[in-house]
Amino acid sequence: MLRLAFPLVSHLPPRKPPPICSRPQPARRYAPSSTAAAAYTSSSSSTPPSPSLSPLPPASAYVHLPFCRKRCHYCDFPIVALGSAAASPRGKGEGEGEGADDPRIVDYVRLLLREVAATRPVSDDGVPLETVFFGGGTPSLVPPRLVAAVLDALRGRFGLSACPEVSIEMDPGTFDAARLAELVGAGVNRVSLGVQAFQEGLLRACGRAHGVEEVHEALGILASCEGLQNWSLDLISSLPNQTQEMWEESLRCAVDARPTHVSVYDLQIEKGTKFGQMYTPGVFPLPSDTESASFYKIASKRLSEAGYNHYEISSYCKPGYECKHNLTYWQNRPFYAFGLGSASYINGVRYSRPRRMKEYAEWVQHLEDGTWIHECRSPDMKDLAMDVVMLSLRTAWGLDLQSFSKSFGRSLTLSLCNIFKPFVESGLVIAMDSKRRALPHTAFELDLQNEGDFGSRVAFIRLSDPEGFLLSNELISLAFGTISP
Amino acid sequence: MATATASRLAVLAPRQLPSAAGRRRHAPGPGFAPPRPRALSAAPRGRVLCLAAPAPAAASAGQDRLQKVPISNIRNFCIIAHIDHGKSTLADKLLELTGTVQKREMKEQFLDNMDLERERGITIKLQAARMRYVMNNEPYCLNLIDTPGHVDFSYEVSRSLAACEGALLVVDASQGVEAQTLANVYLALENNLEIIPVLNKIDLPGADPDRVAQEIEEIIGLDCSDAIRCSAKEGIGITEILDALVTKIPPPKDTSKDPLRALIFDSYYDPYRGVIVYFRVIDGTIKKGDRICFMANGKEYVADEIGVLSPNQMQVDELYAGEVGYLSASIRSVADARVGDTITHYSKKADHALPGYSEATPMVFCGLFPIDADQFEELREALEKLQLNDAALKFEPESSSAMGFGFRCGFLGLLHMEIVQERLEREYNLNLIITAPSVVYRVNCADGETVECSNPSLLPEPGKRRSIEEPYVKIEMLTPKDYIGPIMELSQDRRGEFKEMNFITESRAKVTYELPLAEMVGDFFDQLKSRSKGYASMEYSLVGYRESPLVKLDIQINGDPVEALSTIVHRDKAYSVGRALTQKLKELIPRQMFRVPIQACIGTKVIASEALSAIRKDVLSKCYGGDITRKKKLLKKQAEGKKRMKAIGRVDVPQEAFMAVLKLEKEVL
Repeated sequence: MLRLAFPLVSHLPPRKPPPICSRPQPARRYAPSSTAAAAYTSSSSSTPPSPSLSPLPPASAYVHLPFCRKRCHYCDFPIVALGSAAASPRGKGEGEGEGADDPRIVDYVRLLLREVAATRPVSDDGVPLETVFFGGGTPSLVPPRLVAAVLDALRGRFGLSACPEVSIEMDPGTFDAARLAELVGAGVNRVSLGVQAFQEGLLRACGRAHGVEEVHEALGILASCEGLQNWSLDLISSLPNQTQEMWEESLRCAVDARPTHVSVYDLQIEKGTKFGQMYTPGVFPLPSDTESASFYKIASKRLSEAGYNHYEISSYCKPGYECKHNLTYWQNRPFYAFGLGSASYINGVRYSRPRRMKEYAEWVQHLEDGTWIHECRSPDMKDLAMDVVMLSLRTAWGLDLQSFSKSFGRSLTLSLCNIFKPFVESGLVIAMDSKRRALPHTAFELDLQNEGDFGSRVAFIRLSDPEGFLLSNELISLAFGTISP
Repeated sequence: MATATASRLAVLAPRQLPSAAGRRRHAPGPGFAPPRPRALSAAPRGRVLCLAAPAPAAASAGQDRLQKVPISNIRNFCIIAHIDHGKSTLADKLLELTGTVQKREMKEQFLDNMDLERERGITIKLQAARMRYVMNNEPYCLNLIDTPGHVDFSYEVSRSLAACEGALLVVDASQGVEAQTLANVYLALENNLEIIPVLNKIDLPGADPDRVAQEIEEIIGLDCSDAIRCSAKEGIGITEILDALVTKIPPPKDTSKDPLRALIFDSYYDPYRGVIVYFRVIDGTIKKGDRICFMANGKEYVADEIGVLSPNQMQVDELYAGEVGYLSASIRSVADARVGDTITHYSKKADHALPGYSEATPMVFCGLFPIDADQFEELREALEKLQLNDAALKFEPESSSAMGFGFRCGFLGLLHMEIVQERLEREYNLNLIITAPSVVYRVNCADGETVECSNPSLLPEPGKRRSIEEPYVKIEMLTPKDYIGPIMELSQDRRGEFKEMNFITESRAKVTYELPLAEMVGDFFDQLKSRSKGYASMEYSLVGYRESPLVKLDIQINGDPVEALSTIVHRDKAYSVGRALTQKLKELIPRQMFRVPIQACIGTKVIASEALSAIRKDVLSKCYGGDITRKKKLLKKQAEGKKRMKAIGRVDVPQEAFMAVLKLEKEVL
């Protein structure tokens, strides 16, 4: 079973050297990826880390803070809508005391702390957490004092590394400078700001609880916050009635705000949401597939021009500012998770907590009583291979064929390459050598032609940006069909 | 409604019309052997036998029926009727009134044993029933030999006719004579049968027995002055019918002293007893334990069991000339006891066999493919089992890039095809794809050789063939005069050649066309029914092969030919068919990661072309909180979806697309 742990890490991009706390250093550099074939280069990447033969204990923790003022029209996540009472937590600083906190939040955080306390660290030798991510919901609605309490609990239980990445999702209109300062004081050093759009009408149509004014206000607060250099601005494309002009405007505003990271999410219409009832994907007022694809391409182009690397399907960053926490996901490394509906990945097992508060509370009780045991089984190799392919191909690093071959066998690797052959030719998939230089498709085919030769030229495959990324579902499901015929 | 279901299934097994009765015939083309279709697969009668393990009361009635009567008191008859004119109901009433079947054990429409038959309101397989009827204190033995009422199984009719001396002609008094009835009456007249006209359903408000009687007189020339007016449903006129059977139908000739000659009119395979043979003793006597010989193949057997059908099998010790019965003799295959063959004694052989039937020739072909490739072997076994009882069903393995492995099957007609398909799906739990039906073409090759071709994908290359001939049928349609226009239009559309039109009464006409069989195996009957609001009926017979300007239409997806979708069409129709097929495929094939041309071609010439544009976008952006399970589930589902598709070159084509196109082919061809 030791071998099973290997694919969890071996295909990863090299882990960066210990970061410097005060100012995050680039983990690695990217060549400006203005063309599809532009390959990622890195001084350190040509020498992949020697594969660890022992399973890595989790070094990341996700914490779900499910509170929102109201549910956005596209959202189908486990959240708790607090209503307009929570509309303006600004000014609710320490001065107002515990009595002012929403009891629902307080009760929930208690539950969360109990879960943290009841969760046994995977390793005894104290591998500390490198990343913590407060996601939601709207975590910025939770009083900083309570966020700090959770962080303290995590530190106490698992340890925090010398300079962890501690991210929190924040929505415009839910915080002021003082509140942000308080969070930073508690150890938060990365913010993910849910802007979504820079057009009043679009924000309203999405059911967002804030307007454009609050967006600019929030951007101002972030810009003037001394202790915070690393933050992400999140946008959604393909919103109803969104035009290309609006999208260009949003991208321009985003670049002007100079975040270190931009996330661009393509709107997904989920069943059971208000949008799900109102709209059909591809049908007006939603943009057509062609328009929506063009939004994606525009984002890739504009953000690349502005110096952002498109390092994952929906993530862009200034060199070195990848979201380390999210890299845990893309690199298939284990992570803890706490809170309503959150999903952990420990000892090769993914577990999603109950999405309803009552059931989650009962589950925490069972966890404390020891009547819920975290299942520990050796993962199915096919499933593992699918995870690795699915996650690797979302990123600009792509799939490391050599380590994939070591973990899952040469013949599966060959089959994968063969199924991608026509797409390497058409440019949706890019073959790269060990120095991450893009290879012509003929070199890839030569490698495949002669089995003995395989791997002599090609070391990585990745999806091209933007065309390959845009068809990632098709390409990845094609690979799935090969892994599990 | 059973009627509606049945009439939708308008697929016709061709039959040869009698040349008697002064009807104008079209001379068959040179070398044309008229197909005489044969046994369609049987109802599992063994099952019924078990079901009817006689209760005491039934047993005594049964014993009564088994009593011998002098040959002068035997009457063998059948019932000729158009579908839904009430034949089965009448048969039930006859069985009931004679005490053959007790009322309480009466299933509705007793003679239709197969579920399929009862559901569709059609009789596929003929059955027989021996009844005892006492008239003027004299016991009579009445043998009803049932005939399939549906037009498609008319080939079964001739068999029962040969075993009878008389026939009841049942006509719905609210409707009138239909084409099929007409054809069967001519057959009966040709066999010198005594015909008793019966006007049924006189209880219906719309019944007009006088008009219908007049119609019968005018069309068939039968004297209807003493036609029996009855309502089988209400039990009116049943005794009159029984009396007429006795008084009008002549008894069989007494030839019981002659060497044994018994005509096999049916057989089926029973898994426990081997083949059960149904026969009518024409001459001589047959006893249990007799050593018998089938004259056509010379094989000998010992008759382990003989009996009568009443309607369940009941054992007797012997049967005389004029009687109808069954025997079992450990015969392993229905092929060894051919319908139409003559049974004689091994030790005292008859000099000449009775005139028999020629073998059924499949006229309609299609590919049957399991949707789930793993079911291929099951399909083979199921077909083999069906074939035990259905010598007319032919099949051989076929493989296609689009459909995988399956069988090319030959059928007597489309109903035969549908019934086989339905039985495979229902009784053997198979899910099938059926390619568009094709007929047998004759290809005159450049080297002078003539080859038959029933599979479009195997048609010789254009350079290697000189001409193609296709089977033609003469089709006679009876219709109220209001629908003559639409029916002629339909026939013209199907490359029909107008032959004649006669008004059979003031308001009804018979329209005759000759058209290619290929034009009829599709939805012709459906169209006929819908364009005449259900009033028109039809009958057809093969008239021979004729040369036609036919071309092979191929479908290419992304440049790769899809053999299963190849069809043979008339040159003038190729363009519209090609357009329809490519448009349908464009609708049904999901977009791919590249542009996909869909073309219809004749040889190398593209005659219709569509293109599927490439997918623009298929991406899942957010991975909330690292929960990749949902995303993975979606991608797995997508991968599963791809697996269910068939790869044509690089293009994934869903099975539904093939099915829809095949269905469309049935409609447009």
